[in-house]
Amino acid sequence: MEEVNVTVTINGKKRSAKVEPRMLLTHFIRDSLSLTGTHIGCDTSQCGSCSVMVDGHVVKSCTLLAVQVDGSEIITVEGLGTVQNLHPMQKAFWEEHGLQCGYCTPGVMMAAIGLLQENLEPSDEEIREGLEGVICRCTGYQFIVSAVKHAAALMAEEKQVVGEGR
Amino acid sequence: MAGKVGARIKRKEDPRLLTGNGYFSDDIQLPGMLHAAILRSPHAHALIKSINIEKALEAPGVVAIYTGKDLEGKIGRIPSSWLIPGSNLKEAPQYPLAIDRVRYVGDGVVLVIAEDRYGVRDVLDLIEVDYEFLPVSVRQKEAMQENAPLVHDDIENNIAFHWKAGEVPDEEIEEAEVVVRESFNVQRVAPSPIETRAAIGQYNPGNGELTLWCTSQNPHIHRMVLSEVLDISEAKLRVIAPDIGGGFGGKIGVYPDEALIGYAARDLKQPVKWIEERNEHFSAANHGRDEIIDVELAGTRDGKLTAIRVKNTANMGAYLSTFGPGVPTIDFGLMITGAYDIPKAACETFGVYTNTTSTDAYRGAGKPESTYQIERMIDLFAREIGMDPVELRRKNFAKKEDFPFTNAQGLVYDSGDYEKPLNKALEILDYKKLREEQEALRNEGKLVGIGFSTYVELCGFGPSAVAGAIGFQGGVWENATIRVHPSGKVTVFSGTSPHGQGHNTTFSQVVSDKLGIPLEDIEFVFSDTKAVSMGWGTYGSRSVAVGGGAISIAADRIIEKAKKIAAHELETSVEDIEFEDGVFKISGVPGMERKFVDIAKSANYAWNLPEGVEPALEAQAFFDPENFVYPFGTHIVVAEVDKDTGQIELKRYIAVDDVGRVINPLTSEGQVHGGIAQGVGQAMWEGIVYSDQGQLLSGSFMDYTMPKARFFPTIETAFTETLSPVNQLGAKGIGETGTTASIAAVMNAVVDALQPYGVTDVEMPLTPEKIWNIIQTGGENDDTI
Amino acid sequence: MQIEHVYTFKGIPRNIVWETIQDKEVLQKALPGCKVFEEVEENKYHSVLGINIGPIKGEFTADVQQLDMEEPEAYRLLVKAKGKPGEIDADAAMQFEETAEGTVLTCIAEVQITGLLASIGQRVIGGVAKVVIGQFFKDVDKETKKAA
Repeated sequence: MEEVNVTVTINGKKRSAKVEPRMLLTHFIRDSLSLTGTHIGCDTSQCGSCSVMVDGHVVKSCTLLAVQVDGSEIITVEGLGTVQNLHPMQKAFWEEHGLQCGYCTPGVMMAAIGLLQENLEPSDEEIREGLEGVICRCTGYQFIVSAVKHAAALMAEEKQVVGEGR
Repeated sequence: MAGKVGARIKRKEDPRLLTGNGYFSDDIQLPGMLHAAILRSPHAHALIKSINIEKALEAPGVVAIYTGKDLEGKIGRIPSSWLIPGSNLKEAPQYPLAIDRVRYVGDGVVLVIAEDRYGVRDVLDLIEVDYEFLPVSVRQKEAMQENAPLVHDDIENNIAFHWKAGEVPDEEIEEAEVVVRESFNVQRVAPSPIETRAAIGQYNPGNGELTLWCTSQNPHIHRMVLSEVLDISEAKLRVIAPDIGGGFGGKIGVYPDEALIGYAARDLKQPVKWIEERNEHFSAANHGRDEIIDVELAGTRDGKLTAIRVKNTANMGAYLSTFGPGVPTIDFGLMITGAYDIPKAACETFGVYTNTTSTDAYRGAGKPESTYQIERMIDLFAREIGMDPVELRRKNFAKKEDFPFTNAQGLVYDSGDYEKPLNKALEILDYKKLREEQEALRNEGKLVGIGFSTYVELCGFGPSAVAGAIGFQGGVWENATIRVHPSGKVTVFSGTSPHGQGHNTTFSQVVSDKLGIPLEDIEFVFSDTKAVSMGWGTYGSRSVAVGGGAISIAADRIIEKAKKIAAHELETSVEDIEFEDGVFKISGVPGMERKFVDIAKSANYAWNLPEGVEPALEAQAFFDPENFVYPFGTHIVVAEVDKDTGQIELKRYIAVDDVGRVINPLTSEGQVHGGIAQGVGQAMWEGIVYSDQGQLLSGSFMDYTMPKARFFPTIETAFTETLSPVNQLGAKGIGETGTTASIAAVMNAVVDALQPYGVTDVEMPLTPEKIWNIIQTGGENDDTI
Repeated sequence: MQIEHVYTFKGIPRNIVWETIQDKEVLQKALPGCKVFEEVEENKYHSVLGINIGPIKGEFTADVQQLDMEEPEAYRLLVKAKGKPGEIDADAAMQFEETAEGTVLTCIAEVQITGLLASIGQRVIGGVAKVVIGQFFKDVDKETKKAA
C-alpha cells in the first residue's frame, strides 16, 4: 500500500511520519510517534481509552484516520503535565484515587477535560452524564467523579491565580 | 514513620500512570519484532475438513503460518490447574490450536506471523477453512441429557466432573416445618478488563532463554505451566507481567495463545507480539459464572434454619481452564451456608462441557454465586414465615462467641462479628423510618424495595496443605524478600502480582511502619520470574493477607539481624536493644542509639560485625498461612422501580465491610466501589449471550452492556475492624467483597420492590423489558427470561 | 433468526413476476453490489456480492440455489454466503400470490449467521436484511415493469 506523509503538532512539537492511508490516528500516535500513553481498549469506539484532543476538541482517536488530522494540533496525556508539574486533572485523579490499573485513565482524563471546557462547575450528575463516552472497569466511577469535581475546583483556583498575577 | 498502616495515603504508582509513563504490553517495541494474529473458529462445533493457506503465504510481509497439525507434538496440551479430587473429573485435552475439530466460537485454528500489525490481519482473510458443521450443546442442563451432542466424544453426557460435599437426608427437608425452594441462573458474564490480553515473546538463541511478557495475574504459574507446555526449563523461561490494565480473574488463566507466542518467538528466533482485539477477547478469553443453582432451604416456623441443600449445574465451556473446576465446587459449595449457623448442608455440583468459551474465576469466583443463593433464600424464607429479613438474619448468624466458627461444610471461619457491620449499616440507612416510608410510597403506587446482603467470603488463598487436598496444582503460600541497600533504602520483592490494586502503596505502608523508614525509600519488584524467586500471584483476595504476611515476617527478620549489629556496636546485649520508629536504642540510656540507615551501612560494609553474623542486610520469608481469611459485612440497596418503563433506579447503596485491618482506607474504598460496580453490573445489565447454535451474540461493548458512570448512585462506604488471627497484620481480603455482596443486595431490593405483584424471584440481568413484562402481567411472568 | 418480508408487485401478473425473478440478468442487476453471477448448473449460481450497510461491510462469495420449483406459485431459495465479517446461511420459502392489487410475494427465511456478523452485528442484522431484501424486490419490480 502506498504510504502518505502525515504531519501534526503533537504536544507542541511538530512530528511527521509516513503511514498507510488506512492507519488509525490511535496507532499513528502510539506506533509511529511512540507516544504510548494513549491506550486502546476496544474496536468499536465505545471505551474512550484512546481519547485525545484534536484542535481543541476531545475525540476518540480510533474514530479518525491519521491522514484526516494532517496539519492538526493534538494533545495527548503526555502533553498534559509532568510528574514534577502535574496538570490539575492529573493532580485531582491522584488525590482522589481516580484510577486503579491506570489503563483507561489517560482517555478518561481527556474526556473530563473536554467536559470542563464546556461546564466549569459540573454537578455529580453532570459529570456522570459527561463521562458517557468512557468505560472504566476498575473504579466503579465514584472516585473518577470526585476527581473531576476536584479538578474543576483546582482549575478554577489556578485561573484566578493566573488572573491576579498577570 | 509509624502510623502509616491505617492512613489514607495517595498511591505511589499513580504519577507514572497519570503522565502516560505506564508500561503496558502493547507499549513494548523490540528490534525486529513481528506481529501475530490468530484465525478463530466462527462455528461453535465443526470438523476442520481442510485449511488452504496458499493465498495467505503469498501475501506481502508473511513470515510464518502455523496450523494445529503443524504444531502437533511440538507444543504440549494446555492443562487445567485445579483437578478436584473425588469428582470423577475428566479433563479433555486442549491443544494450542484446534487440530481437526473446533469446539467453540473463538477456538484458535491458524496462527499467522507477519511483519506488520495491519498486514497480519489482512492475511487472516486470505485463509480458507472448510468446515463440516456438527450439532452443538450450548446450555448446561440440555448438554447433560442423554443423546445431547457430545463436545468430546469420549466424555459421556458431557459431564466434566460430579462433586459432592456434605449430606442432607431427604427427611431433613421433607419433615421440616418450612421449606423454600428456588432455582437461580447466575448468568455468564465477561471479566473484560479494559486492556485485553497480550503476549510478546523474545528468544535468545545464544543462551536458549525465552522471555515472555504477558498479561498475567500470576506470572510464576504461567512459568510453571508453560515450561512444561513448551518443554523449556523454568530456569530458561522468564515470564514478566508488565503493567496490567485490570484482570478480575480473566488474566489468571494460562491460555493457548500465550504458549503459541512463546513457541513462535523461539521457532522464528525473532520477537513476536500478539495483542488481542476486543471482540476476540469476548470470544476467546475466559468468561465467568454461568451456573444454574437449585436450592432447598429448611427451617422452623419461628425462623431457625435447619438445613440447606444445593445443586449447582455449571457450564464449563469447551475445555477446563486453569482454575475453572474449583469455582463451582470448592469456592462455591463449601460456602453455601454463608454467615449462618445452619447445622446441615449439602452441595452437589455438575461441571458440564458445552460448545462455548471456557469459564474460569471472575471476581469472587464462586463466592458471589454462593452468597447470591443464600441471601436470596433468606429473603424468601423470611417472606414465607412473615418475619423481617433482618430479624431472620440476626437469628441465624454465627454468633460472635462461636469464633473461630466451623460451618456445616467444615470450613473454619477465622474471626467474625456479623452484628457489627449490620448494625452500622442499619444506622446509616435509618431502617425503621425507611420501612415506614416504603409502606407509604406503596400506597401511592410507588415501587420501592430494600435489599440486604449480610455476606461472608472465603479468601486469602491460603494454606498450601489445604490447596493440595482440594486438588489445586500448586501451592498458595507467598514469598517476600527485603533487600536493604547501603544507603538504608530498600527494595522489596514480592510474589504477588498487582494489576491495579495498589500493592506498591499498601505494602510500602506496612514496610514503612515496620522498619521506620519513609515511604519514598521503599521500592518494589513484582511480576518478573527472574527477579522474584517464586510466588503464586494475585487472585482470591490473597495479596495483603498472604503476600503482606510474608513481607511482615521478612521485615521482622531484618529487624532481628539489625538488632544484633546495633547491640554489637553499642556494646550491649541484643535483649537490651529496643527498636522503635527506625531507631535502635538501649532502654533507659539516652543517646545510646543507632538509626536504621546506620545499621544498613554497617551491615553492608561489614567492617565490624558481631561473631556469627553474615554481611549484608537482606531477608526472605515464605509465608504459608494456617487458614483462609473470611471478610464479611452488610450491603444494603434501596431501589425504585418505574412502573411505566420497568427502569430500575438505585436510590442508595450502603456498604459496611469488615476486612480486618484496613491498611489504606483510600485504596480500600476504591476496591469496594469497583467490586460493587461489577456485582451490580451482573445483577442489572451484563450478560454473555449465546444463540442456540452457540453463536456469541454479545461480542463487543456495543452488545455487552458494560456499565457507565451514570448507571450508579454514590456508594456510601464504612468499615468495621475485626482482626484476623491468621496473619500478623490482622488483615483480610478486600478485592472481591463488593462483588460477592452486591449481586444479592440488588436482587433482594428489586424483588422487595415488586412484592405488591407477588413476585418472589426475577432472573438476572434486570432488563427494563423483563421488569415491565412482570408489571404488565401482574407478576405472572415472574422468573422468566 | 427468522426474517419475513412481503412485497406487492402492483398490477403485475404472477407469471411475469415469476419469470422476471428467475431471469439471470435481472438477478445480477438486482442483487446488492453484484460483481459476479454465473450459472454453475441449472438453478445453481455462484456470485460475488458487495454489501455495505452500517457495520456490515465487505465482499461475500455466495452460492445460490433454487429448488422445489412450483411454477408460478413457490420455490425454495438457498443462499450460502461467505465473507470477511462472517457467514450467512439462508433457507427461504418464496411464495407468489395473485391478488386484486397485483402479485404479493412472501419471503420467509430462516437465517443462520456466524462470526463477527453474529457477535457484533446481531442487533442490526434484521434491519440490514430488510433493507437488502426490500431493495432487491424494488429492483426486480422495475424490471417487471419493463417486461410488462
